[in-house]
Amino acid sequence: MNDKIKLAGRVAIFAAGFAALIAVLLIANYVQSRLNDPIENKTIPALVKRLNASPEDETLKSEIRAFDLIARKAYFTTKWQIRTGTYLMFLSLIISILAVRYLLSVRSKLSEIDPAREEKGLDLLIAQKWVIYSGSGLIIIALVSGLLSYNSLKEYMVNEKMSAAAGEIENPAIQPNRQAGQVEANLDPVQPNAKVEADSTTVQSNTKVEVPGQPATKDSASAKAATVSAPGLPTKAQLRANFPFFRGSDGTGVAFQKKTPVDWNGADGKNIRWKVKIPKPGYSSPIIWANQIFVTGADAQSRMVYCYDRNTGKLLWEASADKIEGSPAAVPKVTTDTGLAAPTMATDGRAVFALFATGDLLALDMTGKRLWARNLGLPDNHYGHSSSLIIYKDKLLVQYDTNRTGKLLAFDSQSGKPSWETLRNSKISWSSPVLVNTGSRMELILTTNPNVSSYNPETGKELWKIACLSGEVGPSAGYADGMVFAANEYAKLVGITAGDSPQIAWESDEFLPEVSSPLAINGLLYIATSYGVFACYDAKAGTKLWSEEYGDSFYSSPIYADGKVYLTNTAGKTYIVKATKDYQLVGTPELGEKSVCSPVFMDGMAYLRGVNQLFCIGSK
Amino acid sequence: MSTDNLPKKMDRRRLIKNGMQLTLGLSLVSIAGWSAFKSTSDRLVWQLDPFKCVQCGRCAKECVMTPSAVKCVHAFNLCGYCDLCGGYLKPDPNARTTAAENQLCPTAAIKRKYIEDPYFEYEIDEALCIGCAKCVAGCTSFGNGSLHLQVRHDRCKNCNECAIARVCPAEAFQRVPISSPYLIKGGFTKGKNG
Amino acid sequence: MRGLGKYLYQSESIVKLLKRFGFLLMMLFVTAQSFALDAQQRFPKPEFATGYAQPATTSPSPRFLLLEYLDIFVLLAALSVVTWFVLKKRSRKGVFWTSVFSLLYFGFYREGCICSIGAIQNMVLGVVDNTYKIPLTAFVFFLLPLVFSLFFGRTFCAGVCPLGAIQDIIVIKPIELPKWLQKVLGLIPYLYLGLAVLFVATKSEFIICRYDPFVGLFRFDAPFHMMMLGILFLATGLFVARPYCRFFCPYGVLLGWMSRFSSNHMTITPAACIQCKLCANSCPFGAINEPVVETGKRHSNVNRMITYFILLPLWTGIGGLAGSMVHVPLSHYNKTVYLAEQLIEHPELKDDQKNIDIRTFLTSGKTTTQLIAEADAIRHQFYIGGWLLGGFMGFVIGTGLIRLSAFRRRDDWETDKTNCLSCARCMEFCPVKRDEDGKITINER
Repeated sequence: MNDKIKLAGRVAIFAAGFAALIAVLLIANYVQSRLNDPIENKTIPALVKRLNASPEDETLKSEIRAFDLIARKAYFTTKWQIRTGTYLMFLSLIISILAVRYLLSVRSKLSEIDPAREEKGLDLLIAQKWVIYSGSGLIIIALVSGLLSYNSLKEYMVNEKMSAAAGEIENPAIQPNRQAGQVEANLDPVQPNAKVEADSTTVQSNTKVEVPGQPATKDSASAKAATVSAPGLPTKAQLRANFPFFRGSDGTGVAFQKKTPVDWNGADGKNIRWKVKIPKPGYSSPIIWANQIFVTGADAQSRMVYCYDRNTGKLLWEASADKIEGSPAAVPKVTTDTGLAAPTMATDGRAVFALFATGDLLALDMTGKRLWARNLGLPDNHYGHSSSLIIYKDKLLVQYDTNRTGKLLAFDSQSGKPSWETLRNSKISWSSPVLVNTGSRMELILTTNPNVSSYNPETGKELWKIACLSGEVGPSAGYADGMVFAANEYAKLVGITAGDSPQIAWESDEFLPEVSSPLAINGLLYIATSYGVFACYDAKAGTKLWSEEYGDSFYSSPIYADGKVYLTNTAGKTYIVKATKDYQLVGTPELGEKSVCSPVFMDGMAYLRGVNQLFCIGSK
Repeated sequence: MSTDNLPKKMDRRRLIKNGMQLTLGLSLVSIAGWSAFKSTSDRLVWQLDPFKCVQCGRCAKECVMTPSAVKCVHAFNLCGYCDLCGGYLKPDPNARTTAAENQLCPTAAIKRKYIEDPYFEYEIDEALCIGCAKCVAGCTSFGNGSLHLQVRHDRCKNCNECAIARVCPAEAFQRVPISSPYLIKGGFTKGKNG
Repeated sequence: MRGLGKYLYQSESIVKLLKRFGFLLMMLFVTAQSFALDAQQRFPKPEFATGYAQPATTSPSPRFLLLEYLDIFVLLAALSVVTWFVLKKRSRKGVFWTSVFSLLYFGFYREGCICSIGAIQNMVLGVVDNTYKIPLTAFVFFLLPLVFSLFFGRTFCAGVCPLGAIQDIIVIKPIELPKWLQKVLGLIPYLYLGLAVLFVATKSEFIICRYDPFVGLFRFDAPFHMMMLGILFLATGLFVARPYCRFFCPYGVLLGWMSRFSSNHMTITPAACIQCKLCANSCPFGAINEPVVETGKRHSNVNRMITYFILLPLWTGIGGLAGSMVHVPLSHYNKTVYLAEQLIEHPELKDDQKNIDIRTFLTSGKTTTQLIAEADAIRHQFYIGGWLLGGFMGFVIGTGLIRLSAFRRRDDWETDKTNCLSCARCMEFCPVKRDEDGKITINER
């Protein structure tokens, strides 16, 4: 019996000692495995970096291979050791416990506990005391930690609400003043007080932006209309007097400016009033409001809006589309021929809006101060998002067709709050919205694969749609006299009689544009293809009137102004033809720089963006 | 306390006890009844949605198992069998070979096999894979995204609350019915399961 | 758009050629490819000239559903057997070996999941989350031990719970803790239960599972902290018997409530107590109540009890207030709330490329305002939950005091039905025995 007890005791001690030894080894191994973690390994990346510097170094290569093998071996061996060690430790612990239990059971049949020596009755009182102590302690800890903690969420919510409320009160008060100032300026060009304070830090050269109202005064009727209109919203006449959107005030490619220049040369400076290098690249076209001209530019580092003085070419301010919530950490992959700044901006004279391929939508006031910004969600677009913005009344409209979903979004232009969102059952597109008055109502016309569709710009409700396109649609719609024109390369060119039951009046597939949008004016339809053909059709019948093959491809869209059609090819050569049934070439001025942008017009001047510079064209 | 009212007191105690027992019993019955509506005979297991995954690398570190029960799986059906594989090779590799200096995988768990010109097949050795998602990130940014992470149910202990799900930044982990325990790309498409 | 790309794609030989070029051409290919296929696959599935067939992606299946039902059956069987051993056979040996079996099956074979303690959380999640369906196993594991407990006492703890079993086996040299310490530590399970429910109700996390000390031991694999916690509990358990069961287990609270009013709870002696006091030091869990002898003045005792009764609403109210105060620090442990606070308090983190959570959030397209509104809603839930949790804790403390001050007449040595784990140790000490025929004998020692 004694021998057995002795043996059990020895077994217990030995097994416990063994378990303890393994435990120590395990902990050491654990620490070592942390050091060997293949993810955290620093040596191999360092060696590979050296290899990149000298790609032919064979000894370095074999060094990396040897080290990699050792590191992986060490990692997996440690894993095996830990596992085996754990099993051994548990086994020895169980043996030890069994031995101890045996010892105890031999010593006495029943195991009693070591009692705590306590006085009867008193222990209850002490227990009560301690329960009270600990209960109070808990409560005090809770109260103190509650008092010490700081609810930053509440703070944020309150601030948010206050700023929202303040904004609501502030906006109507400030906005009319600012607008009134502008309208007054429009009426009276001598009034010197009509200045908009530019308090933004982004303003670079000039802290004050003068807003003399040259354009509107020419048409006194429109100026009158401006004075009676509701504060803020620009009138149709005001929009037409400026160049607020991609392809003009309707987005249809029709400009209402007169006395547009027909002769210039960028290379020798003939009729070039000024030119300025735009710091960052972008394929967006310029827009104009009063004396300010706006363009966007972007690269991987930043997305920028630039505002130039229309008369001098001086950079008035620039603003960066940064620090926007939801904006992706890395810029999306885009192709070099689309870029990160393809969408053209839009303005209503109160604010300017810019959209980038990152999905960042930025609203700035006319002085460059940010009104609001939001990210629309990274557009899943394999070239880069390129649909331009347009404004209807107080709503900024965004065509947002991506590989994931097709959407038409409307935002309150002042606050940036979403007004409505219409899901489009459509594929991805690169075209831009067109805003037309069909006589009875305003319609927003969008092209994509496969539909040409029309929406109520007020509510976003779909008015009609007709399936006629295919492929990757880049060209936007053309519109004139109740007919919508849409086209895409590898698809067809169609004339659609718009309305609740739209019908294809005619179709053709002789010349099809890839990027350039159709232009309809005076019963004529102009098409420019990426293989260098400029063609004119009878808009009603769809019969070809003439076509000319020029060579270089057309990416920009034809723009009508003052009885002429302007079309610039990618080499920067602009073809100016009379907007008549027969082909009458007025001139072929050269920019001296490649360009994919459409010309914009104002005050007898043309503005054209090349790949590097922005040109102001007009007789000096 | 006189001995006369002792039985009466005991009766009262018994009454309270029986009453309480009845109440607790009834509440258990009601819980059972309610749960009958809420419960499912289908067991739930953990799985991650590869379309939500952002390849943060936490699957390798946070799993209660070492190495992690999350492994890279290969949807061969989606693979382009590229020679220049963004999931297998380090960016800007020295050469397109299986040499250690060119491999992206820290544990060499991807096997590269020549099929025919110019196609290569990539297969995961799950015994070596630690679920770090380095290859997944490479394949998703440069390739088809056919390499992706999945919880492997032969290794997963199916914890009541998955330790990775708790820290997943993209909320990609979800409970799925045991009858369809995988969300493997190809068969499972984006948006199908919310 | 891109006509060139289309042309490239149409020509398969060029596709093959392209694949052999570097990243530069690959990028060009990416643009050309993605529109050609509807599936938006950058690289098309190859057509093998050699007729090579692609392997299928394997998907090893999880454990059979049928085995889950086996778990339910084993649970029911183990509960029945251990109850039979405790109540009918009065056999400590039987209970012990049932618990060893349970440890092997539910612990080392089933690796600790699913367990009844954790199933509390599944039940609560079922209440708060409409989309969550409670698995049948979780529901049965939650309910069955409670039902048994309501009729037969905590026999589940004695022989079925693997967490209890692993601690029970290593009780080597138990000491009795002072009563006050037992009472104070006995408050922890209530707090743990309340916190666990609160964290599930706010869909934050399953804290019971996260801090389960033994699951790592069952699996021979766990994160370091889990393993250390388990070893710590076992080391303590050598001297303080079953520390997790008595001072932490939240399920024990529910079982205790049931057991307290159970009709067929085990008794120390099979017949009348002979007041031999042999069982007095037999219980390592401090669950044997001695005969009550009122001490002190009756008048002051009654007064104290009345005071405690009056204080009960006060405890509840102040507890609730304290709980509501602590909701802000508590809600830090919610992922969403934590992220929102980080964004507000450290806006510079938005530029931190290494912060995975913030980076993922920024690319998710959700705005900070949305996130903060979400976080605020969760914090509000914590506020409500804080009131309830605090009030509950106050009530527990208040009633605990009342029970400590009450002198309820008891003449015999009896089990404390709330805390008794039905382990049957005390029965071995009792000299009163009942044999197979139901004959009562008294052993002399």
